[in-house]
Amino acid sequence: MGTARITFDRWEGRYAQRMSGVRSSAVRDLFAAASRPDVISLSGGMPDVARIPAADVARALDEALATDSSASLQYGGSDGRIPLREVIVGLMAESGVRLKTADLIVTAGSQQGLDLLAKTFLDPGDTIVTEGPTYVGALQAFSVYQPRIVSVEMDADGMRMDLLEAELAVLGPRGAKFIYTIPNFQNPAGVTMSPERRRRLLELASTYDIPVVEDDPYGRLRFEGGHILPLRALDAEVIYLGTFSKIFAPGLRLGWMAAPRPILDKVLLAKQAADLCGSNFTQTVAEHYFASDRWRRTLRDLTDAYRQRRDAMLEALAEHFPSEARWTHPEGGFFVWVTLPRHLDTTAVLAEAVEHGVTFTPGDAFYADGRGSSSMRLAFCFAKPDEIREGIARLAEVLADRMDIYRAFVEAGALPPEGDAEASDLTRRVTEVSP
Amino acid sequence: MKEKIAVLMGGRSLEREVSLASGSHVVSALEECGFNVLALDLIPELVGTLRSEKPDAVYIALHGKLGEDGTIQEMLEFLGIPYTGPDVLANALAWDKDISKRILTEAGISVPASVALSGDGVKEMGAASALDLLPGAIGGLPAIVKPARQGSALGLVRVDDASGLADAIISALGYDTKVMVEKCVEGMELAVSVLDDGTDPESARALPPVEIVSSTGIYDYEARFTEGAVDYFSPARLTPQQDAAVRAVAEEVHRTLGCRDLSRTDLILTADGTPVVLECNTSPGMTVTSLLPMAAEADGVSFPELVERLACAALARRG
Repeated sequence: MGTARITFDRWEGRYAQRMSGVRSSAVRDLFAAASRPDVISLSGGMPDVARIPAADVARALDEALATDSSASLQYGGSDGRIPLREVIVGLMAESGVRLKTADLIVTAGSQQGLDLLAKTFLDPGDTIVTEGPTYVGALQAFSVYQPRIVSVEMDADGMRMDLLEAELAVLGPRGAKFIYTIPNFQNPAGVTMSPERRRRLLELASTYDIPVVEDDPYGRLRFEGGHILPLRALDAEVIYLGTFSKIFAPGLRLGWMAAPRPILDKVLLAKQAADLCGSNFTQTVAEHYFASDRWRRTLRDLTDAYRQRRDAMLEALAEHFPSEARWTHPEGGFFVWVTLPRHLDTTAVLAEAVEHGVTFTPGDAFYADGRGSSSMRLAFCFAKPDEIREGIARLAEVLADRMDIYRAFVEAGALPPEGDAEASDLTRRVTEVSP
Repeated sequence: MKEKIAVLMGGRSLEREVSLASGSHVVSALEECGFNVLALDLIPELVGTLRSEKPDAVYIALHGKLGEDGTIQEMLEFLGIPYTGPDVLANALAWDKDISKRILTEAGISVPASVALSGDGVKEMGAASALDLLPGAIGGLPAIVKPARQGSALGLVRVDDASGLADAIISALGYDTKVMVEKCVEGMELAVSVLDDGTDPESARALPPVEIVSSTGIYDYEARFTEGAVDYFSPARLTPQQDAAVRAVAEEVHRTLGCRDLSRTDLILTADGTPVVLECNTSPGMTVTSLLPMAAEADGVSFPELVERLACAALARRG
């Protein structure tokens, strides 16, 4: 039988100062409380790995052990196995990026790439530029190194270059250590940076001599629209982070970083300190998994499933959510970003949503400065379409009461009606392009 | 080995983190006193664990909903386990700031002028159309808008301009179905902790008042738990007469609401010397930086002594 017993951290008070800014959030505690099986999770960005045929993985594993057993069980080079880097060179070529194996290193997921870049580039107090909102795991990786984070708003075409330009004008040449962007199906906003914006970003980065970090975990999960060339395809100085987590599986912890060689050499020193080298074992398995073409069918199947789930979520949002709510229409990836009237605090909504059996991630988790409190990130990647529909309906129930109160104030003339004019740029423009 | 004390903390409330900090502080103090201590989270396994562990008493280090509103107290009475702090009724009264203010007013204690608004009032009766009457009803702005039943000042907003009232009310209604719109009283902000002997409310005795000076001018959730955002003066910078007056009011609040063991009354001492009571807490914070431990320290009572005294009061109530 379970117990309610708690054990404490008796080392509290002895940790380094740099860890103090990295706290487990109250939201995480709420999620922990929501581990009941009947709770529908629209919070986690977990790929649906159950769709990966176990036989394909078993075959790759068998082949890896049959042909490369001693290599796969041994230490490896810290920049990763050449055969896997050849696989990555092939994948990148399909995205329009021409690389040699020496242009990239293998990392433990792209998350390690984020940590290593922060470790390599950031002193306490250094400035970095990110999109706002941005990936919570990046904020966590960066915050350990105590930077000042400047965030730039997005609209349906991604990071707004007018705002970025204004920030850079204040920061000046080399005024930031890097600009971090997730151009495709951004986490959490779901929007994609247009080709024009990509070119403009590179111009600005070059003018101000600030490196660009392109994080591209979802680029191959496109449901509609044409492929857009990665930043790295337009500029060889871009630092590109890729991952096998979405095209294969996150359990392998495999990603990569492509960057100019001097940067890679510095990052490798940091990586050697962190783990000597990545796992040769999972690298050989991945090499064999990608040796046949079966992974393409699996990825198509996954992408189809994600598309159906996105459609289920967008339909359910249109059916159940209050008319005052605005949301993005992602063309790929895992997430929809919803913005509610600014009076609604989504952390308070979450506390109640947990009781109603559904979770999401409150928007302020994706900002370093507490903004985003009336927004939420909804993940459509993991729950099945029926669960998504049910989850959205439950969430709408929680919102209904708050919206009734809000509308009563609007009807009484105590509040101005909050139309599109008050929605954020992010959701307003999206609503205009795809009503 | 001395008696077994279960310290309850955590829970799903929005004050979980603060409660865990209070709880761990209490646990180490009780261990220092030689008790057999059990730290328990408020989760569905709680009752099962209490039944199998059979503690001699429960120390309540919960804050907020379920811990401070009478719910856990009622459950512990049903299980026959004595606990620290006020009983079910006192908790329920103090938890609802609207109800407790009405009771305090009856007893002749000064409280800020206020109006309570409920979500139902807004939805079912059109209360939103009377918003223009609010400033007049409380004697003018600025106002403090806050949920009627929520701890740690969560959802509390100061409103200086009538145009901000609707925003603040909607935001506070996100935390509770009833909100208070309260005249903002200017003056010295004080927290006055009260202890009694656990049996006789007449034994209530106030500890030295602690003065709170917030750099942002408002003692909200952010200020409370951000290091350096608030300065404390313990004891408060009061004349002997002021000191006696605020202590007397806090003791009166403790008795009027029927508190037991401990309580912490937050009040404003106005320029004309009137103590105006904002609220009474039945499970005040017990973290390293909390106000009640700070006051006890100023009175020469160490934290372990304080916690031992509270635990012994609960143990003395064993059937």
